[in-house]
Amino acid sequence: MMAYFNSDQRKGLMGSALLSLMILAIVGAYYIWGETYHARILYATFVNLLVVVGLQVFTGNANITGFSHAAFMGIAAYIAAICVTPAAMKLISLPDAPWGLNAFELSALVSATIALVITGLMGLATGLIIVRLSGVGVTITSIALLVIVHSIFLHRTDIFKGNQAFFGIPKIFDLPHITGLVVLAIFVARLFRESSIGLQLRASSDDEAGARSIGVDVRRVRLIAWVMSACFFATAGIAYSFFLGTISARPFYFNFVFLTVAMLILGGLRSVTGAVLGTLLITMGLELVRWLETGPVLIGVKLPQMLGLSGLLLGVVIVAVMAFLPNGIMGHREIEDLLHRKRQKGRKNDVSSYDSQT
Amino acid sequence: MLEINSLNVFHGPIQAVHDIDMIVSEGQCVTLLGPNGAGKTSTLSAITGTARATGSIRLGGDQIAHMSVDDRSRRGLAISPEGRRVFANLSVRENLLMGGALYNSKAQLSAKIEQWFVQFPTLRERSDQLAGTLSGGEQQMLAISRALLSNPRILLLDEPSLGLAPQIVSKIFDIIRDLKAQGTTILLVEQNAAAAVSVSDYVYVLNNGVIYIHGQTDQFGHGSELMNELTGVYV
Amino acid sequence: MDYAIQQTLNALSFGAEYALIALGLAIVFSIMGLVNFAHGEVVAFGGYSMVITATLLTSNPWIIMIGVMFACVLTAVVLERVAFRTVRGADLTTGLLTAFGVSIVLQNLFLLLGSPRAIAATQFIFLDKTITIGTIRVSSLQIYETLATLVAIVVLTLFLRKTPLGIAMRAAALDFEMVRLCGFRANRVIAGAFAISGLLAGLACIFIMARRGSVQPNMGFDPVLVAFVACVIGGFGSLPGAVLGGFLLGVAEVTMLIILPQSAGGLASAAVFSLVALVLIWRPDGILSPARNKGDKI
Repeated sequence: MMAYFNSDQRKGLMGSALLSLMILAIVGAYYIWGETYHARILYATFVNLLVVVGLQVFTGNANITGFSHAAFMGIAAYIAAICVTPAAMKLISLPDAPWGLNAFELSALVSATIALVITGLMGLATGLIIVRLSGVGVTITSIALLVIVHSIFLHRTDIFKGNQAFFGIPKIFDLPHITGLVVLAIFVARLFRESSIGLQLRASSDDEAGARSIGVDVRRVRLIAWVMSACFFATAGIAYSFFLGTISARPFYFNFVFLTVAMLILGGLRSVTGAVLGTLLITMGLELVRWLETGPVLIGVKLPQMLGLSGLLLGVVIVAVMAFLPNGIMGHREIEDLLHRKRQKGRKNDVSSYDSQT
Repeated sequence: MLEINSLNVFHGPIQAVHDIDMIVSEGQCVTLLGPNGAGKTSTLSAITGTARATGSIRLGGDQIAHMSVDDRSRRGLAISPEGRRVFANLSVRENLLMGGALYNSKAQLSAKIEQWFVQFPTLRERSDQLAGTLSGGEQQMLAISRALLSNPRILLLDEPSLGLAPQIVSKIFDIIRDLKAQGTTILLVEQNAAAAVSVSDYVYVLNNGVIYIHGQTDQFGHGSELMNELTGVYV
Repeated sequence: MDYAIQQTLNALSFGAEYALIALGLAIVFSIMGLVNFAHGEVVAFGGYSMVITATLLTSNPWIIMIGVMFACVLTAVVLERVAFRTVRGADLTTGLLTAFGVSIVLQNLFLLLGSPRAIAATQFIFLDKTITIGTIRVSSLQIYETLATLVAIVVLTLFLRKTPLGIAMRAAALDFEMVRLCGFRANRVIAGAFAISGLLAGLACIFIMARRGSVQPNMGFDPVLVAFVACVIGGFGSLPGAVLGGFLLGVAEVTMLIILPQSAGGLASAAVFSLVALVLIWRPDGILSPARNKGDKI
């Protein structure tokens, strides 16, 4: 089976395995030492991780910033929620739902599949437009997408309940499910990055004209990445619905977009390891800062309440990273590159050692 | 006027020029010859500050190697760059105004522009036309005028013959000969060895980023023989 | 007939406001290639400056107006110096994300140092009076807004055509490096561009505040979003494009509000955005894409 993967992908398998071990270690630590409320934080982190890895697939490899991921996530979340919630519940929460949406219920698997497929198709439809645009055009169209979807959520309260909570979603997923999804996502993202399509995409991001001249179908590879990333976002949305029990339109908008983009660029948008690292760092950082925001007692000193501190620091992180480390902490490196460096230091005379360049 | 020592020029990780030395004395016209990719434009970029370089660059005795692009230009460096780079959507007059960065008096600048219109009547005819609509030769005249408006200590000319018909090339080089007669210090970069050699006092031949040979022009005989000998390229 | 005039005035004044902010974005982008997401916060700070001026100095609205203009220009120029200089040569994404980050920093500073709730700032509301011309009842604010914008556009055009700095800025939009090679100070040209964007933002702020009457940390977000869209459909970086885009959006929005039934009013912005997407499909680079300097460069 290994023969199906090229050498970079085999490297990627190892890297993904290492990242997954890291993830499993974190989950393991929770099970051993964690409090119950930690489960929510960890789950939310993993949902973010799914989104940020999905961002890496498109934005990271194509170096084009898109802001519509919250929209895809929201669409999938709502579809999955509406399909899976028992009809009895829906009659209460969505009394005016059209098309008999409050009169049926489907199994978790079918609901998730429907959500994934519909969102994927929307990814395809939007992707066909997106790939024809230049850098700025992609950004604005993706913002347009986000705003349009958000407006529809807010407006069609008979289906989506707008800013009010859509409640009653059965709790289907828990930590083991999303851990599995995260591991899968890491492997898929890595394998894509090192695949020939991923390579073509990365080449076109550095030099579009040059890539075209060697026969890369830039539109096609961008479209593939866009649809793939939409599927990642859909999965995140489904996982979100299946855990929380209630969802509303509010989280699927700009604040979430800013947060996830910050995670990606802190870690380094060019690598999957960067996506993982950035997510973990910012989540931990935010928890710490939120604790500070409440005005806790630190070494006997009562700190003032500082609402907005978390947002402020997030903004500062983005600006600082862009100014000093535009490629993020990891740059172009993946996790196995770090280890290789360490091993290389111990091997001075080995001429044949693989030299990984940044 | 211009003294370069141990100059190395880089484009990203690639080194284009290796450890060269050059001198352009006041009133001289010095030519940097060489085939495509030799590093000629890179050398000029290092002088103007638009490419990363190490080494010493002295203009009129002052070290400018650490200065920014705008500061160097304000010190007396002017360039008619490769491809002319006239501001296509600005009129001819506006392009010339762009040469007047160092003028404090609008009247002085207008007077100087008038002088250039006298020298190049074609530019006066087209003074309100968009520079992008000018012919290659006219753009070259414009680029040179724009550069000289600032009364620079040295004029850098990058491939003035590029893309021009032979008749126009000879016209441009007549202009260069006139400038030299007026005492302008010129550093000329060219692939057209014959034309360049006909106006210059001193020649440096650059190839693969190093100086192959240099000397007074009369040492070298006919320009094209020189190029053939040293680079094996038929000019 | 009266209805038509009223709606036309609506469209003009909406469009004028969008055009003002869009111009500020376009001018910076044309020279620096920077999508200044933080532009909205410049407008917001203008609003906050009203509160500061009123508390510390005087309630005289004319002085506060000057204060707003001053605050906006100052903010824009300081932002450039502090935050954007480091990413000056960088690619589009880096600049965009930096501006983004700056925008978040500023919004949260407003939150931290001001208040999460709206703060009243009603000094300009006097501009918004209903006046009767013949049989038509219009808002004086709309007239002021449209006129002020037209005047601003004329002044800006004169500046760009007649003054050395203005010509240098037009040249910089074509070939920034060549402008430096001519001896113009890069910093001055860029600071000038930001100062102008600040002036335009200040002007827009006055009209926005005349309508809102209060300031809030995230009030800059909606204007900059619309301005962004206006620039893109007009051709990002093109100054006439920004004006065209702004007025087109004004017309589109008013049209949607007229066409759509009352109940679907909230969908107006979604409908406008869909229109935008359609425009982009037809003309991916915008309607009046900015002129590229012809030369050897790709």
